[in-house]
Amino acid sequence: MYILRHMTPDPITVSPAMLLPEARALLNEYHFRHLPVVDEQGKLVGILTDRDLRSAYPSSVISDSERRLVYERVQETSVSEIMSTDCVTLGTDSTLDDALFLFDRDQPGALPVVDDDGRVVGIFSIRDLNAAYKTLFGVGEKGAVLIGILDDGSPTIMTRIVMLLEKEKIPFTRVLRIFDKQVGDTIYLRINTFKIAAVLDLLEENDFAIKKG
Amino acid sequence: MNLSAPLIIVDDQRFLQHDTGGGDHPEIPARLQTIHQSLKSSVCYPLLSFLSPQAATRNDLTQVHSENWLFRFEEAVLAGQTYIDHSDNQVCYDSYDIACLAAGAGISAIDLIEEGRGSNIFCLVRPPGHHAEHAIPFGFCFFNNCVVAARYWQRKYHKKRIVVFDFDAHHGNGIQSAFEEEADSYYISIHEHPSFSYPGTGYGDEHGMGDGKGTILNLPLSPGGNDRDVKNILENVIPQKLEEWQPEAIIIAAGFDAHIADDMSGLQYSTELYYTLGREVKSWAERFTNGKLLSILEGGYELSVLGDSVEAYVRGILAK
Repeated sequence: MYILRHMTPDPITVSPAMLLPEARALLNEYHFRHLPVVDEQGKLVGILTDRDLRSAYPSSVISDSERRLVYERVQETSVSEIMSTDCVTLGTDSTLDDALFLFDRDQPGALPVVDDDGRVVGIFSIRDLNAAYKTLFGVGEKGAVLIGILDDGSPTIMTRIVMLLEKEKIPFTRVLRIFDKQVGDTIYLRINTFKIAAVLDLLEENDFAIKKG
Repeated sequence: MNLSAPLIIVDDQRFLQHDTGGGDHPEIPARLQTIHQSLKSSVCYPLLSFLSPQAATRNDLTQVHSENWLFRFEEAVLAGQTYIDHSDNQVCYDSYDIACLAAGAGISAIDLIEEGRGSNIFCLVRPPGHHAEHAIPFGFCFFNNCVVAARYWQRKYHKKRIVVFDFDAHHGNGIQSAFEEEADSYYISIHEHPSFSYPGTGYGDEHGMGDGKGTILNLPLSPGGNDRDVKNILENVIPQKLEEWQPEAIIIAAGFDAHIADDMSGLQYSTELYYTLGREVKSWAERFTNGKLLSILEGGYELSVLGDSVEAYVRGILAK
């Protein structure tokens, strides 16, 4: 659950003094969207995004002469002049859940991961978050499918479901109990079998109500 | 065998010997028996001729599967294992040989087609194939019969631009993973949405990767998806894609488990939809491949409707 296992370690970083053309070339070459900016000790001082760069470069709708002027200025501009400095970071002890909350709140594309001294040790993107949760919930796992059972609130329902599946040798990998007033409390099972209908029948024969849709 | 027959059926009694252990396993020999009965009583029966296939060779199989998987499969059955990796994948002592025969059916058909001895061929095989991956069996499938056939067509007869159209209720993960990174093979699948159905793959936004970008077309239907949805896709989506892609050979992964009576999926096709599917794929063959069409049986488990569904498909591909 720690971010350290899911981040990209040792990301490419740039210095605040780097000029924008060089930073842009880096982003284009590696297809990144975020470059952590670090000082000589490797400590985070800001983050440069492809969006920051796009805003700095001349717009395609202005006149040629204006364009040239802006372009010349950009060639001389350093990263420190356009980077964001109030960046949100993750720490080496941050968890996936910490990241989820931050992505939800601030909607960044990626978050630098820094150690206790503020040195950049990794970068964690929204893609990494998706991949981590996909793995956690088994989405797209070959041979698996999610089915829902109505949760009647019985104190033994989880035990009974798991015991039934194990007794009948039905492979399953995840059991999730979700309390939701709107759609009704539901227990989700990720079962790994082609014979889904047979499992649904078995559950119904044992007095579990299957959730449709 | 009447080689000028409008439709050649590749089949073999040995396909009945792949024993999936009884119990409630749905992939059983009776599937083929019920299909035969329906074909026998069909108005199309005089137009059919029947042929036994050759087994796929090791070389044919290793174009698709790893050597290691071949050894593992063969050893497992000889050692008397009753299933491989997952209890869905039931086997008996003869299963390896029969799977080789099933994988060889498409190859025998392609030889007939390319030698000009037949143009419309349907292989009625089991075990099915479209879930089988490079080195792993999945969902009753051990060798990927359609991909083995595609590789043979590409390699031996230089028919590079292959399309596999799969109308089984389940996504053919094995076909997608074989094709998704290459430019010459196109996979089109209509199936029940992966959030509700085995094998949990085949999302609509998967289009292929690298050189294979744009060579995967997944068309998932929500549970309850019916004739209207399929006809809409057949009319408004696939023909345009084929026109852009210009296939040199067409293979149909023909599964019949999306029938409303078949509880292996939540789709609700009628028997007659399979007639429409047959007519449609035949029209593609006439448009792009000079009428040459290879169909290979995949799923379809509800015995009360399977035979008639296959018969409807056969009527469709034979319709004038």
